[in-house]
Amino acid sequence: MKYILMMNTMKSGHGVPEWPRKDLQAHIAFMIAANKELHERGELVSAEGLSFPDQAKQVRAGKDGRPVTDGVFPESKEFLAGFWIIDVDSSQRAYEIAAKMSAAPGPGGAPLNMPIEVRPIMSGPPPEML
Amino acid sequence: MKYILLMSGTNAGVEGYRARPKQNIQAHMAVLHRINQDLTESGEFVATQGLAQPKEAKVVRGEKDGVPVTDGIFPESKEFLLGYWIVDVPNAERAYAIAGRISSASGNMPIEVRQFATYEAKS
Repeated sequence: MKYILMMNTMKSGHGVPEWPRKDLQAHIAFMIAANKELHERGELVSAEGLSFPDQAKQVRAGKDGRPVTDGVFPESKEFLAGFWIIDVDSSQRAYEIAAKMSAAPGPGGAPLNMPIEVRPIMSGPPPEML
Repeated sequence: MKYILLMSGTNAGVEGYRARPKQNIQAHMAVLHRINQDLTESGEFVATQGLAQPKEAKVVRGEKDGVPVTDGIFPESKEFLLGYWIVDVPNAERAYAIAGRISSASGNMPIEVRQFATYEAKS
């Protein structure tokens, strides 16, 4: 079963966090090691980081179908910072992996315990909808 | 350059969509399918995925002992990711044009467009 693990950030969380360099390096090393382990277990489908919210645009189609872009978002909006797609045997395993990512080291090496949203991925639209 | 196009909505929005006539939903799916085909033909398609319903979402935090703590209670106003497209295009304008087409096919709902983070390899 495929799951997506989403790491969200608030609008204020744009830019690289102002942590000491060694703490940032430890955080990144943790993520690289965690991804490597998932890959070796055959559970990693993909992992991506997104650019910071200041580069995000909201697009709607105008009346003539042309894109209308807007970069103004409510202060409370949560932005996707990055995600993992994993292929695992159970939701419990998905939650275990999410907990591991949640506890990635932050400033001073203390676990961040950041919230990770976990959602099953649909294999496709229901057949009756096609 | 890779961009992700994010389609989000609230729980109430999802319920409303599911209550629509079947024909209406089929027509929407057909247009989205067509857009995916066009992107494949132009070589811009990387991936697309729909997510399961928000009611199946959990938020997980790691506790001190690393045991996952799950919670499934979200504010009514929370916007959930419904699905995404990843496209590989020459510039942001092209990503916006694709997002505009998806928006147009989906009742002009807003589509968030974000570039993937890239880091230069250390030499």
